[in-house]
Amino acid sequence: MKLEVRNITKSFGDKQVLHGISFEVLSGRALGLLGRNGAGKTTTIRILMDVFHANSGELYLDGEKFNQRKHLIGYLPEERGLYPKKKVIDQMVYLGRIRGISKSEAVANSKKWLKRLEISEYENAKLETLSKGNQQKVQLASTLVCNPEIVILDEPFSGLDPVNSRILQDVVKELISDNKLVIFSSHQMSYVEEFCEDIVIINKGDVVLAGDLEKIKRKFGENQLVISAVNYNLDELEQLLRNTLSDIIEITGKTRNELIVRNIGNVTRKELLTRIMSQNIEIEHFETYKPSLNDIFVSQVGEETEEKDAQKEGAKA
Amino acid sequence: MKKFGVIFQFELMNYIKNKSYMVTTIIVAVLAGIIMFVPSFFDLGGLFAGSSSSDRSDSEQTADDTGSGEESDSIVLIYDKSGAVTDVSFIQSFYTDDKIEMADSEKELIEQVESDKAAAGFVINSLSDFDYYVFNQSMLDSKQTTFSQAMTVLNQMVYCQENGIDYAEISAAFSPHIECHENVLGKDMSSNYWYCYGLVIIIFMIIIMYGVMVATSVTQEKSNRTIEVLVTSADTNMLFFAKVLAGALAALFQTGIILGVILITYKINQSAWGGMLDMILDIPGNVLVTFAFFGLGGFLFYTFIYGAMGALVSKTEDINKSAGGIQMVIMIVYIITLVSLMNVDGIVVKIASFLPISSYSAMFARVAMGTVSIWEIIVSFVILAVSTVGVGIIGAKIYRMGTLRYGNPIKLTNAIKSLKHSK
Repeated sequence: MKLEVRNITKSFGDKQVLHGISFEVLSGRALGLLGRNGAGKTTTIRILMDVFHANSGELYLDGEKFNQRKHLIGYLPEERGLYPKKKVIDQMVYLGRIRGISKSEAVANSKKWLKRLEISEYENAKLETLSKGNQQKVQLASTLVCNPEIVILDEPFSGLDPVNSRILQDVVKELISDNKLVIFSSHQMSYVEEFCEDIVIINKGDVVLAGDLEKIKRKFGENQLVISAVNYNLDELEQLLRNTLSDIIEITGKTRNELIVRNIGNVTRKELLTRIMSQNIEIEHFETYKPSLNDIFVSQVGEETEEKDAQKEGAKA
Repeated sequence: MKKFGVIFQFELMNYIKNKSYMVTTIIVAVLAGIIMFVPSFFDLGGLFAGSSSSDRSDSEQTADDTGSGEESDSIVLIYDKSGAVTDVSFIQSFYTDDKIEMADSEKELIEQVESDKAAAGFVINSLSDFDYYVFNQSMLDSKQTTFSQAMTVLNQMVYCQENGIDYAEISAAFSPHIECHENVLGKDMSSNYWYCYGLVIIIFMIIIMYGVMVATSVTQEKSNRTIEVLVTSADTNMLFFAKVLAGALAALFQTGIILGVILITYKINQSAWGGMLDMILDIPGNVLVTFAFFGLGGFLFYTFIYGAMGALVSKTEDINKSAGGIQMVIMIVYIITLVSLMNVDGIVVKIASFLPISSYSAMFARVAMGTVSIWEIIVSFVILAVSTVGVGIIGAKIYRMGTLRYGNPIKLTNAIKSLKHSK
């Protein structure tokens, strides 16, 4: 299956929150929808789920207009909510049945997912008696009870401890290996990085970056290296390189322990290494720069915002 | 349709399994049943025939029902300044529930009334002038009127005696016994009024009580955030209609149990009640059928509106804010119908019987007590049915529109504007 989002716009009153969002998702691959708070991730997901109607733009599934009612979709909304006074199993079966599966299938699937998420003992407990983390797991189990073809998870990791996050990660990986079409939004880049092959970064209602995560990483790391030295700290090393090797390298950033530099002299690595060592620098670390998703996210969303914030500050001054 | 059944069943079970619903149903039904059995075990003569002030002393019916007139007698004192009353038994013959005694002085009479040893007292100044003493006068006090009648007769008797006229002859000539054979060819308002009154109150109470229950159920889905999962899982029209209809059925189920218990236990104890409630409970079949159709239609009409009102707020405590307007309409209709029961063929009731907001009570009142043709009933019901479906569809749209609108209650006018805008 291939789900295409084409040029979606959405306004609430006079405020336009989506300015023409486009991306596509394939079965067996997970798409990570990233963005800062208020970027438009949840609005995009709600349009996908037909909770909101887009002002313009279209949704297609395998080339045909996407009709949510014709497909089994597992949706975990950002606003978590189930019936607090109902038994866990009763509401799971109900939610499965109103999505179109039989009672027996709903019961079997409910038990399966409760067991998979290690909360079988709460099957007959009222939801309100469970901890927040376990309620979150019940919500996830309810999302998956209809054995959906498409799974849309809005901030699935929020509220989970590391152990439960691990369980959820495993479940998401299983969904991907079962050839489901998975979309999820998250602020936690490490989770997205772990099992999303594709990402879409939304900033202020626009897609600022989209595509295969590995390719994006390669592109962002292209012609860049990380360097650290045994005999200089990062500030000393940065100063030394600026003074002596500015003709062949440009310092582009800094991690906790390393400098990120770009090869601007189009020299070989051997030559570059020789020039560095000629400055009496004892190399501790020298390798290709592989940016983390967090680095990419900050570079796309954070800097721009920081710049604008700085401009605003300047204007105020 | 299968999904509709699933939602309907789930919602219905939510109501029925609810502890407060079950407890209320059981307690009210048991209490009603117990009350109906009371006359079989206890003599309620005192309760109805009169307390210390014996408000219904002139009611032969009550005296007969209780069968214990002697036990419930209260004392009425007479102090005769004029000497006109020579025989206390003459006055006593006018009072079946009270015992007439003579006082020695006006002061004694007042003291006895003040200390509640006597229910009332009369000081006769002359044949045409008396003072009446009572401590707390009830609204239905008829002792004074009865005494006036006794004094009138006494005056007539004295006049006849003074003028040598045979009182018995005059009395027979001026007050002949008239036989009347009543033949009501249409509706007998006097016998239909009370059950009609009762049914108007019942349908009003059902709409107010259960309408709020349905609104609360809708709002709870917003407050516990279940609504987003629901509207992305099933069609909102289906969700709304199933929810409201389940609430309506739960309401009818509860009301049916309570009324059923009352009817059955009344039938069992009918002789003990002396047929006292027959005028309320002995309802003709055609009125019951009209009540069932119009009552159900009106109930659903308002329940859909209540459901939509529930969708306009996200906290249950705000329901009264959004439903206040509709409750006012229901109250006005209720008052107009009750006031108009004395004149059901008037223009107000005729108009009200065709409006969907009021036909649920006005039309069956006309059927019970007035003159109405079959085409009027059919037209009125069609208007009500179409309006109910229309209100249901609009309600479902408001429910859908209000899905993710949390915070302050949404005004109905804004909701309708939003619906127009979304088109």
